[in-house]
Amino acid sequence: MTTDLRCYGDDIQQLAELVPDFELRSPMDVESWYTREWQAIADTNGFAQQFAAVPRAVPTTTDRVTAMTLAGLTAFEHSLRAGRPGVPESQARVQSAVIQAMTGTGLERGELWRVTADPTTLATGACYADGGRPLRAFYPDTAPGYFGDGWSGPPPRAESACGWQTPLVLHLGTFPWVYSSRLGDVGPGARWASSASQPALEGLHVVASLLEPATNLRQDARQVAAIYRHFAKHTAPLVAALPSFQPGRAEAGRLYRRGRFLLAHQGSLHVAALDGPRGRLAASAYNYILRRFASFFAVRRATLRALTTLPAEVQRRAATSADPCLRQQVEGVARAS
Amino acid sequence: MSRGVWIALGATAGIGGALLFSRSASAASPAAPAAGAAQQTPPTIDLAPLPRAADVSGDLARNWGETPVDLRPLFMLMEETSRIVGAARVFAVIAYRESRFITTAQNGNAAGEQDERDSSRAAFANSKGRNPPLRYGELAAEFGSGGLFGLLAPYFLWTGVPEVGDKAPLLRAPPSLVFQPRAAAFGAAVYMQRLLKQYRVDDVPDIKAGWANPGLLGKGRGGETYQSVRNRFLEDAKTVGIDLADVDTIPAKLDASAWPGVPNVFAGLVGALPKELV
Repeated sequence: MTTDLRCYGDDIQQLAELVPDFELRSPMDVESWYTREWQAIADTNGFAQQFAAVPRAVPTTTDRVTAMTLAGLTAFEHSLRAGRPGVPESQARVQSAVIQAMTGTGLERGELWRVTADPTTLATGACYADGGRPLRAFYPDTAPGYFGDGWSGPPPRAESACGWQTPLVLHLGTFPWVYSSRLGDVGPGARWASSASQPALEGLHVVASLLEPATNLRQDARQVAAIYRHFAKHTAPLVAALPSFQPGRAEAGRLYRRGRFLLAHQGSLHVAALDGPRGRLAASAYNYILRRFASFFAVRRATLRALTTLPAEVQRRAATSADPCLRQQVEGVARAS
Repeated sequence: MSRGVWIALGATAGIGGALLFSRSASAASPAAPAAGAAQQTPPTIDLAPLPRAADVSGDLARNWGETPVDLRPLFMLMEETSRIVGAARVFAVIAYRESRFITTAQNGNAAGEQDERDSSRAAFANSKGRNPPLRYGELAAEFGSGGLFGLLAPYFLWTGVPEVGDKAPLLRAPPSLVFQPRAAAFGAAVYMQRLLKQYRVDDVPDIKAGWANPGLLGKGRGGETYQSVRNRFLEDAKTVGIDLADVDTIPAKLDASAWPGVPNVFAGLVGALPKELV
């Protein structure tokens, strides 16, 4: 059957087409699609060598998607261990606990892509101690940015020991670029590692799980579509102002658009950037973020097409989703089968 | 921003006895067409793209600090091709100072960079009689310096002359070739090799002193400029986040004794130039 995503809008259908389509029921398709996605994730985040080195087959699972997830996360963990700690141990421990709590709640709500919480309800109030001084474990990301127009409320119900006055908001679907601002060449989440704790690994785990069919279906795609539209609205004019890449006629060092993506010809995508009213956006971050959105919907499409082969529990969850588009698509699948 | 300098290798460098006097490396301005010199219009050159992680075997995760992820393979390829163990991260610190990692950084194209153009003019005027002719010599003279490593254009194009004479690979290339990161990498690798082989280099910061001016490794050693270049290099390493004391990735002293020769390094980093430049 033909599975389309136009219920979310024609733009979402086009977004999914930025990455190749694939058949979830085809082992070869799965192998090549997920390898390509993980390769892109690893290239941008600097663990391509580790990814190339890890075994793809996992003795404990025959599921290829799970095996790829484990391979990707293992590679990322190796690179985190090779790098220098980015945060103090006390902060990393709090970050890990907070991410675990927020992803648990986010998954239940179908809002894993962007998780929000009253920080004062979280472990340690999302504060950590540095020399006896309580500090926020995350950046309070509520100003207007590339993922949203800013959101300051509701204020925490309890008084925060470290000065939280807004909700804690993390865009884990685009980890390590987890904030609506601070979209530099290194995602802030990539620094979330100490010598003993690696909250960054938990962050990337969310990215990986959104590529897994069961978790992908549990995510309310309307949330992803809304954040994508905001991102597209604020980046489209910046990208449109760039010249289109023409092989053989490109100038060294110049930033081009190639399709919807950016290309720094004979230069570094991590150094090149878009500068707009919402701030600086590294070209590497732009490509990565756009690809995360596209991959989410590509997996959604492939998952819907293969829905009848998925476990009954996954099908039941989809059929009772709060997302009317998903319910409608599930009905379509049922009628066609 | 910094002033890196290439002074002089003079007779030792075999470049006609002139000093590679570079003083520059304020590289933050992006490229603009070089002024002056009515010479034939240079062809557009596009070398192979930046190397990727799969193209190198050396570690790209440990002790790189904030070095852009997609430039690390180039620096590592420089190390592996030149067989100067530990050079990759040193090149990264140098590139930070010289260009802020902008491959098309150019010193000499802005109003306040007259001294850089003066340097490249002087470099060309003083050395052209002692070196093989450059097809785009006049353009090089007007170019200033540029690329990832802030190389003075005439000396960049004469890279390899001391080693292979008129078989040096860039003699027919335009100065804008320095904006191609692989070509800039070739020039920088050859230069580091010369410093290590021909000068007293006691430790890693001495490389940067020699990069600024080889004279600082001789008579200038210990002087104010020598110290300030070294200190600035140490600060740059700290800013980038590269630990120069991590002997697993950067030996206390770099060694160019395994240098495979200019042609091999050129082949490994650049490959072949378009036929019109050969």
